[in-house]
Amino acid sequence: MLDRFRFVPLRLLQSIPVIFGVTVVVFFMVHLLPGNPALAILGQTATPARVASLSHQLGLDKPLWDQYLLFLGHLVQGNLGTSITYQRPVSELVLQAVPITMSLLLFALVLALVISVPLAAVAASAPGRARDLAVRAFTLVGQGMPQFWVGIMLILLLAVKAKAFPVGGYGESALEHWYYLFLPALTLAIAMCPTIIRSLRASTINVLGSDYVGTARSKGAAGVALFRLHVVRNAAIPTVSIIGVNLGYLVGGSLVIERVFAVPGLGSLMINAIFARDFPTIQAVALVVALFVIVVGILTDVVYTAIDPRVDLGSRELA
Amino acid sequence: MTRSTRLRFTGIAAVATVALAACGGAAGSRASGSSAPVDGGDLTIARAQDIISMDKTTTFDNNSIYVMEQIMEPLFTVSADGTKVEPYLATDYTVSADKLTYTIKLRKGVTFSDGKPLTAADVKFSIDEDTKTGGDGWGFINTAIDQVKAVDDSTVEVKLKYAWAPLLADLSLFSNGIVPNNYGGKTAQEFYQAPVGTGPFVWDRWQKGQYVKVTANKKYWSPKKPHLASVTWTVVPDANTRKLQLQGGQIDVDDTPDWSSFSSMKNAPGINAQTFPSTRMDYISLNQQRQPFQDVHVRRAIAYALDRNAMVKAVLYGNGTPATSLLSPGTPFFDKNAGGATYDVAKAKQELAQSSVPQGFSTSLLIASGNPDQASVAQIMQSELKAIGIDLKITQLDPTANKQARLKSDFDMAMQAWTMDIPDPDEWTSFAVDPAGGSHSSFTYYNNPAVIALNKQAQTEIDNTKRADLYSQLQKTTSEDAYLTYLYYSPYVFAMTDKVKGFAVTPLGNYHLEDVYKAK
Repeated sequence: MLDRFRFVPLRLLQSIPVIFGVTVVVFFMVHLLPGNPALAILGQTATPARVASLSHQLGLDKPLWDQYLLFLGHLVQGNLGTSITYQRPVSELVLQAVPITMSLLLFALVLALVISVPLAAVAASAPGRARDLAVRAFTLVGQGMPQFWVGIMLILLLAVKAKAFPVGGYGESALEHWYYLFLPALTLAIAMCPTIIRSLRASTINVLGSDYVGTARSKGAAGVALFRLHVVRNAAIPTVSIIGVNLGYLVGGSLVIERVFAVPGLGSLMINAIFARDFPTIQAVALVVALFVIVVGILTDVVYTAIDPRVDLGSRELA
Repeated sequence: MTRSTRLRFTGIAAVATVALAACGGAAGSRASGSSAPVDGGDLTIARAQDIISMDKTTTFDNNSIYVMEQIMEPLFTVSADGTKVEPYLATDYTVSADKLTYTIKLRKGVTFSDGKPLTAADVKFSIDEDTKTGGDGWGFINTAIDQVKAVDDSTVEVKLKYAWAPLLADLSLFSNGIVPNNYGGKTAQEFYQAPVGTGPFVWDRWQKGQYVKVTANKKYWSPKKPHLASVTWTVVPDANTRKLQLQGGQIDVDDTPDWSSFSSMKNAPGINAQTFPSTRMDYISLNQQRQPFQDVHVRRAIAYALDRNAMVKAVLYGNGTPATSLLSPGTPFFDKNAGGATYDVAKAKQELAQSSVPQGFSTSLLIASGNPDQASVAQIMQSELKAIGIDLKITQLDPTANKQARLKSDFDMAMQAWTMDIPDPDEWTSFAVDPAGGSHSSFTYYNNPAVIALNKQAQTEIDNTKRADLYSQLQKTTSEDAYLTYLYYSPYVFAMTDKVKGFAVTPLGNYHLEDVYKAK
């Protein structure tokens, strides 16, 4: 069984050139932006001489290649550099933001599943009937609404009017964190649901029509038991890949949502760093996001392999 | 009290170049409301950006400055109306006959939040530390200072290189705030991670990107203050989210709501949306290195062509006034008869007809992207200038790239804004009219020897009446030259719950949180 997961270390190895590529692209794209951090730090009356002196102090007057090699050298040693804005190690800032964004994404995923699975089951159990049409209408509406707008509407309804949730922020204790993250996670979940529901509904209908479900039915299985024992696992397989791909996109979506809800995660860190031209921080966040996408890709395959015993990615890749 | 003295100024005008906004010190009690102040509670202020650093000598960022002002206090502070300097950690001072020596008495019974008493040695160290930063920090503001001496524990002597009118105003700047001698044995870097001062609040903690928090200084020298147990500044980048947080009761103060939120909150129940007079002026720099802005008729034509009342209405929702002078009304020596151009299309056409480009011309206006106010002004200008034959292209650059373009004078016209840091016009005029002031006259390359001479005279003029006259002449000449296109004066804007009492902002932008309390 474990043998089927031998693709994982190989995949991790393959990700090294990918990450290297990301560092090249991000580093040089960031330096294409006009304006440097010295300008962002100094006040309105900064003279060109002062900008030059601070740029020198920050090492920004070195040739770009030297700066890149220095960055890469530090990176290999696990050093992400020092934030130009805060004059603190970037790793400190990133380590503070990563758990926040990851919790948000995880929370969103859980909520999306909690909403999607029952709805998809309801829809698939009676294709073409009223409840199916209702679910499908919901997915269409869900897909049509821009995320930030959904966020603002949720804030207006649940936070400002009903006062059931905070408008934004992150709170202090662990319990508060989940409470504060509920609305942003729900916003992201609503964006994810339509795709999951559609995929799950289609595959469930497919599975329900298959011979083995017919057999199970003839043996008396029905209702929840039928779903649990014979349908869910098989119907889930295509959806797992879709969720994997979507989680990657979700990181992008979370940047906007973090802003709307004032969540101090990677997205907020990234946006501020871009405006301040805090190059080391921008690079670090981009790296972390790339890593995340890679890990999600691998995890997707792991789950895929785990739920479908017929899948053996290792043999294909090693062959 | 008397304004400081002035005599001869020999240094370069760069001395007086100071960064945007921010400013020193604060003022006495402004608690409003009839009921007695309530003690305790946390005041949460939401702002678009995080602080950057607590190093008072090298930080140019307002968000940081407004926090450090609650912790470290200067010897003098600006009055509530922003036009005078008042003693703060100092109680009294005398000036020698030659105007070169200031002897300053320190307030008795002041201790730092760590319990150590405030002494003259601390003051000497603090001012010297600022001076040392020179052009890399705020040190240039102290260029006129020759040396600071601790005469005895409670007396400080400041010797000047030359008589210098704005000295007390300079000492009221936050960068001259008082910290313990030798940073209490720490390095500067260690010290500013958790600064110690005599202020009403004590540094607590900073979750970067999330919030910064200070707690009440139990040993504060002003009895019964501060009222609040703590203050938290949270980072909420989106103006709409700040507004919703205020309505949802999650924050107490929304720092700088945008004008449309502000007008919608004005009538919201439980919310107090307030403006405070500021020294802010928005204006256009006309780059005289580019054609055809050397031509005064072109500059005047632009100045006459703009309907500033329409801008105030459309952009500020009526919360402002058209600008008519190089100085703002909150700045000392403002002359309301400075003669800045007002809207007059006939005159605009007439000026253009007399100019080197009577048929009109094409040019561009640099604005900051993501700034709805600037975008609206630019659009209004575009249509108004079209009416007199000027074709205006709008160039948007994000704030940092925009700044780079302005520093290099890489623009035709650029929209800018200024607020004062000290209660003295010199900070701005030296930046704005003296090409040697570090910015080529606010990046315009304007160079009028008569105006430069007036500015230098005003720096060293002792008599306030004569000084006012000099600044009047300066304002009138710059208006005639129309080298900047003045747009409007706008106030500071805050929205808060109606439970917040005693919150006030000086025209320099700083606020005194020891006076603030939250009603039950």
